[in-house]
Amino acid sequence: MYAGIDLGSRNVKVAILDDQGQLKLHKFDTVSFYREHGHMEDGQLLVDLSALGLGDIGWQQIVSTGYGRQTINLKGAKNIAEIKAHVTGAVYLTGKEDFTMLDLGGQDSKVALVRKGRMVDFETNDRCAASTGRYLENMAAVLDIDLAELSKHYQHPVELSSTCAIFGETELIGKVVEGYSVAELAAGVNYTIFKRVKPMLLKLASPTIVFTGGVAQNQALRQIVTQELNKEVLVPDNPQYNGAIGCAVTAKKLALQ
Amino acid sequence: MKKIGITTTIPSEVVYAAGMVPVDLNNIFITHNNPQLLVEEAELAGYPRNLCSWIKGIYTTVLNNKDIDTVIAVTQGDCSNTHALMETLDLAGIKVIPFAYPFDRDYDLLKLQIEKLMTALGTDWEQVNETKKTLDAVRKRLWQMDQLTWQDNKISGFDNHLFQVCSSDFNGNPEQFAKEMDDYLAKLPQQPEIKTELRIGYIGVPPIMDDLYDYLEERGARVVYNEVQRQFAMPFDTDDLVEQYRLYSYPYGIFYRLEDIIEQIKLRQLDGVISYAQSFCYRQIEDLIIRQKIDVPILTLEGDKPNKLDARTKMRLDSFLEMLR
Ligand code: SF4
Repeated sequence: MYAGIDLGSRNVKVAILDDQGQLKLHKFDTVSFYREHGHMEDGQLLVDLSALGLGDIGWQQIVSTGYGRQTINLKGAKNIAEIKAHVTGAVYLTGKEDFTMLDLGGQDSKVALVRKGRMVDFETNDRCAASTGRYLENMAAVLDIDLAELSKHYQHPVELSSTCAIFGETELIGKVVEGYSVAELAAGVNYTIFKRVKPMLLKLASPTIVFTGGVAQNQALRQIVTQELNKEVLVPDNPQYNGAIGCAVTAKKLALQ
Repeated sequence: MKKIGITTTIPSEVVYAAGMVPVDLNNIFITHNNPQLLVEEAELAGYPRNLCSWIKGIYTTVLNNKDIDTVIAVTQGDCSNTHALMETLDLAGIKVIPFAYPFDRDYDLLKLQIEKLMTALGTDWEQVNETKKTLDAVRKRLWQMDQLTWQDNKISGFDNHLFQVCSSDFNGNPEQFAKEMDDYLAKLPQQPEIKTELRIGYIGVPPIMDDLYDYLEERGARVVYNEVQRQFAMPFDTDDLVEQYRLYSYPYGIFYRLEDIIEQIKLRQLDGVISYAQSFCYRQIEDLIIRQKIDVPILTLEGDKPNKLDARTKMRLDSFLEMLR
């Protein structure tokens, strides 16, 4: 068995790959994951994977990635860079070798240019959460709808500035007061995400965009990217596990070397 | 001897010839035991939050160092924020001597600027040219160090950065600075060659965080080219002082700087380039030109607060290095 672990800011995602190529996916809340399974040793947080409750698995190789990897050591795991994990996952899940990857996660956004299966350039968002899952959650809360509802709308968007996640809320409330429909407001929110990532997508453009990360579950956004950029947009199944899957694939590759 | 603050590299020959000591304000700011505190003090005084930390740090540095009552400010060819910086220092009773590098690298205009500085400080060409000889002898060691960095792989990226960046003011004492270098150089033959898989170039203003070089080295990548720092050391053989500061690339446009950068990328066989820009700096705009003109992979890095790399920057660096492998 090969395990890939993505130490995300909100969730820790685990992908387990077997020799037949079967994938099993698990998700843990980040904070409780560290609290329950980690302990300090020599100033580093060690996480005991055998205690995760994933069953008694004979691990052949474990690979991890994510923000936590600077300070957190997973016992027996090899760390790889985050964007690399995501690109590996996207190549594996789509079978494509030339594309632009758009990964929108809980708190950050990444765009990578992939040629012949290798990353040749990348961009990440600046210190701002305005194009991430966290932003969408906040805005949905303001509109008093759930994420599923938010992600249905892309037509007749209200104009919202896309500069700041926090001021965005105030601006959105202003639009509510002006009497726009929830559909128009939700579409406006989805459009702000597109406006934020558009420069990065144009800079690193390809005919195909592979869209991953939790935000890729947002149907409206897929639609917006497709129609605004006139490109093929592919969203693999379980896009939020892309980084963990990339790690699992790397783990298998390393074990077979 | 009287100390004179400088906001970036200026013809230090003139200052030394006048019997004064130039003090690079950037260096005192960044080597303070808590540079972030200096930035915050400037913010308390009313400096905007969305303004480059270098400017804020320099502001507080001048106010805190009571022995500096005069500042030579580069008002053209460096940072336009310097204008307002000087105005606020003026308000605090600091004497400001402006210095402008002509945008088009015009020889006569530059000469005029240098002569104005000579008059302001009270020296002449004879003394200045004498001083140039002394300083050039110190610079020769810096050139040698640079060579030992990229050709002989004997010097780390950080040490290369540190010695060259100090050549803006020679640490206030060229003789002693030369001696420090001699001591350093004397120990080198015993040092093993530094072996790293990747050769990196660093372009743009010196980084506000000091752990960048070590972080890269730990991950198998070494900076063997520090663009601006190397320029501070004036790696050109000329007896003509005006020509020297005309060849010096930093204060002039990006296209002129790129000539030097492109040549060095080839010469030093770089695998990739880190293009550094300070948060809120106008130089970030030039990144789009740099990306079009350079044909090795580039990572654009943005630094904000002094001292340490943040988690996001580390993630970007890791990804870049893995991309280069
Ligand atoms: S980094 Fe940019 S904004 Fe800051 S002082 Fe230098 S030129 Fe000015």
